[in-house]
Amino acid sequence: MKKKIFTFITLMVVAASSCKNLNVSPSDAISTNTLVTTTDGLTNALNGAYALLKDHIEFNGTVDQNNMYLRQFYHLSDFASDDIVCGQVTTDPLYYSFSLGHTPSQGNTRYYWYVSYKIITGVNTVIDAVEKSGKTDATTNQLLGECYFLRAFCHFNLVRLFGQPYSVDPNAPGIILRTNLTDPAKKARSTVKEVYDSVIADAEKGATLMTQPRGVQYASQEAAWSLLARVNLYKEDNTKAIEYANKVINSGKFTLATKATYPTMFANATTSPETIFCIAFTQVDDYGKFGSIASMIYSDGNSGWGEEYASSSLRAAMAPHPEDVRWSYIVPLKDGNGTVQKKNGIEVYYISKFSFQGGLPNLSSPIMFRLAELYLIRAEAEAKTGATAAALDDVNMIRKNRGLEGSLITTVPSGSTLLDVVLNEKRIEMAFEGHRTYDVFRNKKTLSKAYWGYHLAGLKETDIDLSKTPAGYPNLTVPYTNPRIIYYLPIDEILSNPLATQNP
Amino acid sequence: MTRKILLICSCALLFCLKGFSQSLPVTGRVVAALDKQPMAGVTVSVKGTSNGTMTKTDGGFTLNVPAGKSILTISFIGYISKDVEVTGGQTNVQVALAEDIQQLNDVVVVGYSSKKQSELTSAVTVVSANKLKDVTANNIGTMLQGKVAGLQVVNSSGAPGSAAEIRLRGVSSVNANQSPLFVVDGIIGGNYDPNDVESITVLKDAGATALYGSQANAGVIIVTTKSAKQGETRFEAKISTGFRTADFGKMNLMNSNQLYDYQKEFYRDYIVGAPDNSYKIDLVKFYAERPLSLRNQDYNWSKESFKSAPVYNFYLSASGKTEKNDYYVGASYYKEKGTFVNTNFERVNLRGNSTYHFSKKLDVTNNINLSASQGKSYDYMDVYYSFLNMPWDNPYDANGQPIYVDGNSTFKWWSRDKINPLNTVQNSDHSYKGFDVNYDLGINYHITNWLTFASTNRVSASFNKGSNYVSPLAAGTYHGTGYIDELNTLNYGLISNQLFKFDFRMGDHSINGFVGGAFESSRNEYSGASGKGLPEGLNVLNVVSNNQLVNGYYNKYILQSLLSQVNYNYKEKYFLSGSYRYDGSSNFAPSKQYGGFPSVSAAWLASKEDFLADNSIINNLKIRGSYGLTGTQDIGASRYLGLFSLTTQYNSLVGAVPYQLASPNLTWESKRQINAGVDIGLFKRVNLTVDVYRNDTKDLLLQVSQPLSVGFETKWENAGTVINKGIELGINSTNIKTKDFEWNTDFTINFNNNKLSGFPSDIIKTGSWSISQIYRNGGNLFEFYMPKWLGVDAQTGAPVWEKLIYNTQGKAVGSEKTSDYAQATNQEVGSALPKYQGGFNNSFRYKNFNLRVSTYFNYGNKVFSNNLRFMMNDGHEPYYNQIQLPAGAKIWSGPGDTQATEPSPQNSANSTETSTRYLKDGSYFTIRNIAFNYTLPTAWASKISMKGVSVGVTADNVVTFSNFLGQDPQTTITPGSFATPGVSDFKYPNNRQYLLTVNFNF
Repeated sequence: MKKKIFTFITLMVVAASSCKNLNVSPSDAISTNTLVTTTDGLTNALNGAYALLKDHIEFNGTVDQNNMYLRQFYHLSDFASDDIVCGQVTTDPLYYSFSLGHTPSQGNTRYYWYVSYKIITGVNTVIDAVEKSGKTDATTNQLLGECYFLRAFCHFNLVRLFGQPYSVDPNAPGIILRTNLTDPAKKARSTVKEVYDSVIADAEKGATLMTQPRGVQYASQEAAWSLLARVNLYKEDNTKAIEYANKVINSGKFTLATKATYPTMFANATTSPETIFCIAFTQVDDYGKFGSIASMIYSDGNSGWGEEYASSSLRAAMAPHPEDVRWSYIVPLKDGNGTVQKKNGIEVYYISKFSFQGGLPNLSSPIMFRLAELYLIRAEAEAKTGATAAALDDVNMIRKNRGLEGSLITTVPSGSTLLDVVLNEKRIEMAFEGHRTYDVFRNKKTLSKAYWGYHLAGLKETDIDLSKTPAGYPNLTVPYTNPRIIYYLPIDEILSNPLATQNP
Repeated sequence: MTRKILLICSCALLFCLKGFSQSLPVTGRVVAALDKQPMAGVTVSVKGTSNGTMTKTDGGFTLNVPAGKSILTISFIGYISKDVEVTGGQTNVQVALAEDIQQLNDVVVVGYSSKKQSELTSAVTVVSANKLKDVTANNIGTMLQGKVAGLQVVNSSGAPGSAAEIRLRGVSSVNANQSPLFVVDGIIGGNYDPNDVESITVLKDAGATALYGSQANAGVIIVTTKSAKQGETRFEAKISTGFRTADFGKMNLMNSNQLYDYQKEFYRDYIVGAPDNSYKIDLVKFYAERPLSLRNQDYNWSKESFKSAPVYNFYLSASGKTEKNDYYVGASYYKEKGTFVNTNFERVNLRGNSTYHFSKKLDVTNNINLSASQGKSYDYMDVYYSFLNMPWDNPYDANGQPIYVDGNSTFKWWSRDKINPLNTVQNSDHSYKGFDVNYDLGINYHITNWLTFASTNRVSASFNKGSNYVSPLAAGTYHGTGYIDELNTLNYGLISNQLFKFDFRMGDHSINGFVGGAFESSRNEYSGASGKGLPEGLNVLNVVSNNQLVNGYYNKYILQSLLSQVNYNYKEKYFLSGSYRYDGSSNFAPSKQYGGFPSVSAAWLASKEDFLADNSIINNLKIRGSYGLTGTQDIGASRYLGLFSLTTQYNSLVGAVPYQLASPNLTWESKRQINAGVDIGLFKRVNLTVDVYRNDTKDLLLQVSQPLSVGFETKWENAGTVINKGIELGINSTNIKTKDFEWNTDFTINFNNNKLSGFPSDIIKTGSWSISQIYRNGGNLFEFYMPKWLGVDAQTGAPVWEKLIYNTQGKAVGSEKTSDYAQATNQEVGSALPKYQGGFNNSFRYKNFNLRVSTYFNYGNKVFSNNLRFMMNDGHEPYYNQIQLPAGAKIWSGPGDTQATEPSPQNSANSTETSTRYLKDGSYFTIRNIAFNYTLPTAWASKISMKGVSVGVTADNVVTFSNFLGQDPQTTITPGSFATPGVSDFKYPNNRQYLLTVNFNF
């Protein structure tokens, strides 16, 4: 008995005190050092970078469904424009794009800034690994090219939202450029020009590397050219803008959607011949009311909040042509008598450009670049270089495919300029796709928001008289000189990175 | 098998027979000194032998003693032991035992060993079941509130089944776990029911906690479950039943009339910058938009959503002792309905504790605890709407059913979103279930008379399942499709401690201690799935038709340790103790896994010195000191690695996302603790304990904020030091004690002050709602950092914040007012941690009546009342209900309104942004509990064959006094997920509870 007990004790002691292997690996994550050693790992990291454009990732310790790169990109861009009207005041920071009551602490810019740089960090990791590996086969180059493209794409969107337009002041503070893994965390903002230079360099490099297209859900040579056309247009390098627009238009890979196909294009972005690059949302990415792009601007009664609508200003611009198929994305909410319903006095015209993929009200694969924009980029550059006929041809190319073949523009209407014609066409064509504010301000124009909506401070429902134009309210017009045409850098960056200066 | 049993039986028989040789019986009776009542279950033994017995119900005993003179030791828990000289054959020995008010001889479980209270060298507080039982709760934290000096208990949620947050001696960690380590029956972790708890020991300084090494930074709470105290079988039954109501704290919402009048302010004729403002309320517009009939539509949403809810607690136990076996069996059932509609929690717990004495040398302890629980949780949004929906909307239809409303509904609905939470609750289900089993095996083998091998081991496993279901009938995002998700969690683990304990005595010197090893390993496995497209009426995953998602992962944790302790004392007057633990943890990189945790402590029991012997005033005086090192490593696995998470997909292909920055040198957070204390006993009725401490937590495991432009929010680093300094005072006093009347008072208070140092630069952590806290050298922990609210501009009605003006050296040299929020300066404006907190408890007994009143206070902390962002929103959200404005508040009414405290709804840009406007004083004083109890006279009880019956009524969370505005100053103090510490957001309200309890002993 005693012997048994001693054997038992010895066993217990040995079992307990023998050294165990204390190395534990996570089950659903992989160490950065391991990831970059395989092509698979690099592909996964690149897929992850795309995924971050559509995912809601944890921020401040919680996954807030409001937080999505694209959702916030569209809110921050288009809610500030004259295309979308606010039907309901709210403490949600999306309201600040309407009211211009920006703060450095607004949650949407904080997340947008964060996730943009997470994408950039992801692609920088891949770029660093590939360049160290010395691999130069076409498949690897395609991956590398996509990384350069995404870095350029993210830096460019950031500088659009947080830096002055290039045409206004190229030497104004831009954003923090992150083009490697070795720069110190605390870093100053580069100038707008430096950011544009970096974006162009990255996009050009990406364009030469990408030779094995993987479908419109991924970046491609043409996507990089499209980005270069857009960036050069913003930079007012009209020659380059035309050159890159030509490359895309003449690639023969894309055709404009027609009057017949345009109304269903946005629900079928991945298969549309017009799509150059879109972000693929699959059925599991149907985020519903809290997290989708569509939920603020469309609702079937339950699918969304539906609090922001197509503005009367945009509808007025389209009013002369009820036959325009672009009306198909503006959906009035009518009661049984066919009267357009109002919310808080504002007519409810829902926007459906981000709905109905697979018939679902909150699902779409948002298009980042499509052929129509390239025609309009070329038209604007041509207009600015005095090529009137070419510019009008490009505008009419669009109109022919939108049900306006009977209303082509052959001469610039009196009281208007050729640039106005192009910008007006672009406003209608690219409405709600994140272009309008940039197009107005970089052309040093004034945005007019003299229409009824809750961007007017202190507005009461009974003040609204749809037969009149509102007057007396602050912010009825937003000139390009208004400091609030861009956003404050998020509070987190300012507090943790003293080198980053705040916007005035 | 039979042979073994026979062998065991015959051994037992032999052992029993031994007692009969050459001995004579002694008989006698034991009574209580105070009331001369007989005492049952008192241990009577011959000193220095194992020969003993217990008294019967009448207090009588018979014990065989060797012929001639012997000394009998008469002892009973809670009474001062007495030695009585007897002669073999003596009859009618009368012994009166006096109550040990100061309990100096009580044995205190201090983790790996037990000590007599008088031998302790470190700061330890014991709370007996007696003092715990007046609160009926499902967790021990709530029961401890206000009873231990230095222990801060926060009930931050009243949701069914939720537990309290516990902090000991302030907060010394930030991102690592700050909750004290729980040790149940000598083994780390473990499950138990509060009814089964015999006593709680709180270890406060490193002298005691360093033995738990890397897990002990936040202190250690030792839970000892019940065991047999007496020979005969005793049964105890307790039945509690009562109800709870929601405590909305300081959140008084507007009723229909109040809201109606408040909204008139939105109609003031004022457009900023316009030349023709009249600043009058435009009643024509107001009545056009808000018909007078609204005054008559008054529906109290929170009253409809939160109803009084029943609570039940049943407990039955049996315990007893035989020569060979000590056993305790307890069963309890706890059920509460939540105050929020369709929430509840129930739990059944079974415990069996048994110690079998195979021989004088070998004891085997088997403890098993089984528990099963289930409940219904809630969706945060439903609670949110229950507070924010407007009183002008009727939650019910004509049939009294919660009305369905959505965006297509044609009837008028005022509240912001067309959602009726009561209807959603009816069409959804958030239920959870859990099963948990713990088995402890303890082996004690006395190798020699000075050396014992002690092995304690636990295997534990639990399975939990939670699911959320929304019917296709519910309004909102899942309308028409339905939604279901399930998450299953399996946890299992093993803990094993092997110790060699030694104990030498040589004259006046005594030395004891142990050396050994410990091993701990656990694994948590998660798996779940979700989907949409459910047919109406069915709610299992099998029937989902689209959006199917699956997830699953696991975590692993290993800790292995060597541990040792040596205690020395001389003449039981001078005590010295030292311990050392060496831990290896799987949480760190291979080169950083191991760390050592030493401690030393000493005490001088001055009252045993000649100059204090028989002192009529001071009957106990002990001076203690300790020094030691503990650690924290509880931050989860693999925090040191640079990681890409593989949990996402793009275009149906797996995606890897940058998830964590590498921090290869990450290691223990270590806490150097110095403690000095004195225990004073006065007049044999007052115990006073004072401790002063200084704890330096170095290498804080901190998620250091990164510039967001690196693509990461934070990086795990060992950064900075927190120094907690404090003083703790505990008094318990028997103010009056006569046969019929007794008055006891407990008072505890803890002043704690913390300072940060050693940060390479300021770290500012910004959380949800952009609420920031700053970590600055010389600053406080959890210091809020936000613009100062200066009220309202009397001329424009705009909100005003403070903007500091800096000179070229960066020093603030002045300040000005600004109505541009972006220009306002972030400043340090107070900490979320209290300056002092404590409890003041009194109990009174008159004959068989007992009354106990427990109170708790907390002073000097700030709470950010985030609800006010919605509920005092200046018209930014006109379709939310609002909180009643506090006395003295006034909305701006026109230029020159210097009395205004709230901005003009027409000119309130950014007024609800984070600022001190919503930062409130979090101090409060609460009458935690009132318990009134009546014990039936023994004679009455015995008529129904009971030994004792008592009936009590208790009221918990009776009233809270506070200047706070918002839901509840009791808010989370845990940083990390969802919350910044000290931020009060919409939450499940705490409960007021009223209970009737009947206790039977038989």
